[in-house]
Amino acid sequence: MKDIIDFSNILLPFLYIITFIFYSYDFMKGGNRFVNSKRLFLFLTILFHLFYLLLRTINFDHPPITNVFEIFTVLAFAISFTYFILELVTDIRGTGPFIIIISIIFQTISTFYIQDLVQVKEVLRNHLLGIHVFTALIGYSAITISAVYGLLYLILYKDIKLNKFGLIFDRLPSLDILEKLSFYSSVIGFVFLTWTIIIGIIWLPKAFPKFSYTDPKLIGTFLVWVLYGVGISTKIFGKWQGRKVVVLSIIGFLIAIMSTILTNFLAKSFHSFY
Amino acid sequence: MNLLAVSINHRTAPVELREVLHLSEDEIRDFIRRIKGTILNEGVVISTCNRTEVYGLPNNSNLTHKDLQNSLLNLKPVKELKPEHFQNYFSDEAIKHLFSVATGIDSLLIGDNQIFKQVKDSFEIAEESKFVGFLMKRIFDSTVKAGKRAITETQISEGAVTVSYAAVQLIEKIYSNLSKKAALVIGAGETGEIAAKHLKERGIGRLAITNRTIERAEKLAESLNAKIIPFNHFKDFLHEYDIVLSATSAENLILTKEDIKASMKKRNYNPCVFMDIAIPRDIDPEVKNIDYVFYNDIDSLNIIVQQNLVKRKEEIPKVESIINEEASSFLSWYNSLEAAPTIKNLRDFFESIRSEEVDKNKNRFSADDQEKLEIVTKRIINKILHHPTVELKKYTESNINSGDAAMRISIIKELFGIDKKNIKEE
Repeated sequence: MKDIIDFSNILLPFLYIITFIFYSYDFMKGGNRFVNSKRLFLFLTILFHLFYLLLRTINFDHPPITNVFEIFTVLAFAISFTYFILELVTDIRGTGPFIIIISIIFQTISTFYIQDLVQVKEVLRNHLLGIHVFTALIGYSAITISAVYGLLYLILYKDIKLNKFGLIFDRLPSLDILEKLSFYSSVIGFVFLTWTIIIGIIWLPKAFPKFSYTDPKLIGTFLVWVLYGVGISTKIFGKWQGRKVVVLSIIGFLIAIMSTILTNFLAKSFHSFY
Repeated sequence: MNLLAVSINHRTAPVELREVLHLSEDEIRDFIRRIKGTILNEGVVISTCNRTEVYGLPNNSNLTHKDLQNSLLNLKPVKELKPEHFQNYFSDEAIKHLFSVATGIDSLLIGDNQIFKQVKDSFEIAEESKFVGFLMKRIFDSTVKAGKRAITETQISEGAVTVSYAAVQLIEKIYSNLSKKAALVIGAGETGEIAAKHLKERGIGRLAITNRTIERAEKLAESLNAKIIPFNHFKDFLHEYDIVLSATSAENLILTKEDIKASMKKRNYNPCVFMDIAIPRDIDPEVKNIDYVFYNDIDSLNIIVQQNLVKRKEEIPKVESIINEEASSFLSWYNSLEAAPTIKNLRDFFESIRSEEVDKNKNRFSADDQEKLEIVTKRIINKILHHPTVELKKYTESNINSGDAAMRISIIKELFGIDKKNIKEE
């Protein structure tokens, strides 16, 4: 089984890259040559990824959420899966390459650095950790997608303002739709991050003796949560809309990424206290 | 196939001549009454602002394109018209031209899908006038098939190619659902009217019209179920509209940067689209620097139009291959109809010569030899006709070049003088 896991680990980035090529081809050429096959290929890639995650869980006797590189592969899966559902529901197929590339990045980093840990600290087997990580993953996938759509909104906004009617203008959905996709994703992200923080604050101090409120990951996530909260409420109450909310969403995503990089690469763990 | 076609169109004649030769629906019906049975047995007449064309099967083989042109000029005499203003087509070339017209690649505005509907309407008029026979019905079916394939299999009709439609396309790139948006059209002239109609067609939620002369605004507003705003006060209501489309003939600016700044403030900077399709411009172009204001004038909309025209031109080879496929499929069907009677007529023709000559000369032979004479001459005829028969049978197969086949069948008929009346009787 170990060989199958290793092979799948190497194969996954390639599967995502092939899916990306299918989506990019249609985006560049503007045709519908791969209109159904690209969706099918994405579905098969996601299915294969799920199979890989299950194999890891069975073989190493814990879900792949105990360290950052395990979480990256789940994140790659979650982002593509969320996009797949979004594409099915909205039938907007022009934005695929911009989302799938994020999955490629997370999966490639995971493929290079993931380790086959069998021994996991007892504290990480707690089911509250499962819920904490699960909600965090969905929250981060949602804000990643929100940021991508936000970025696409800004590019299209600029192109229309400057009368640049190129590929972006031709292929992307309307500004309205991009704004809505970014906003709804940020609402989903905000709701799940709220749960992540609540569970974290209740459980983390009990589980880890070294727990600290100054943990960069904790501060970062809290900052992201506040930013999204401000963005969503100003939009709901009609004070801000469009570009300002979108910019807030992108800043939130960048802070989330920065805090993850800082904690994981400087402290070499997911939080500074373990 | 004996199909004749004459065409006067945007490539062959200036608009003044095309205008004179344009036929209204009643005139087409009148024209069909005049030529049916005397010049054409069956056919179709297409007349739009860019072309007037007559297609049909001549009443007798001596009729030419000139006769068809004259019949048209008898109805609508035009002194200035010269032979070079007409294009003449025959047989498969006529079919291909008809398909080119229906698919929009022969249009002034490439890919114009209005023409497809106009061609279908023309066939309906011909059908109602009992001018469509067995062959024209089949031509009509093939034309519709070619037209539909061009629309579904290529992008020949994609994208806006007029300024007012480009404005609507651009608006739809900003707002996803026009039914929740309000639009104000300033100026009820021809351009404003077209733009207002486009917005209505795309399902705009609320539409208002303002014009210096209120009567004109009232007329347009009534036909589009729109609200009228007095021209002197329209700036007071500007903030209520998500789309402002200006198309007046005013010499000076109607909306300044300050007007729009004030309106945006009242709108709490909700995005607003300003489309200035007037010459000279109605809206200060500086407004494009205001946040959430999307401003476009004729020049920027023309960029979209030109890009779409280039894309449509790139689709022409794909449409041409559809036309060739459909023309070839039609002609194969037609040849299969022609080949079988031709074989029979050819054999009958040779047999009649043989039996005539045998009858004339058989008394020169003994009774025993007369029987041999029958056998030998029949064998000679069979041997002579074996190869042509095999070749003619090939023409009924679908994979043969249909244009070639039609030409060879007609050469055989002409060479041996096989009368068409015989074929019809058969």
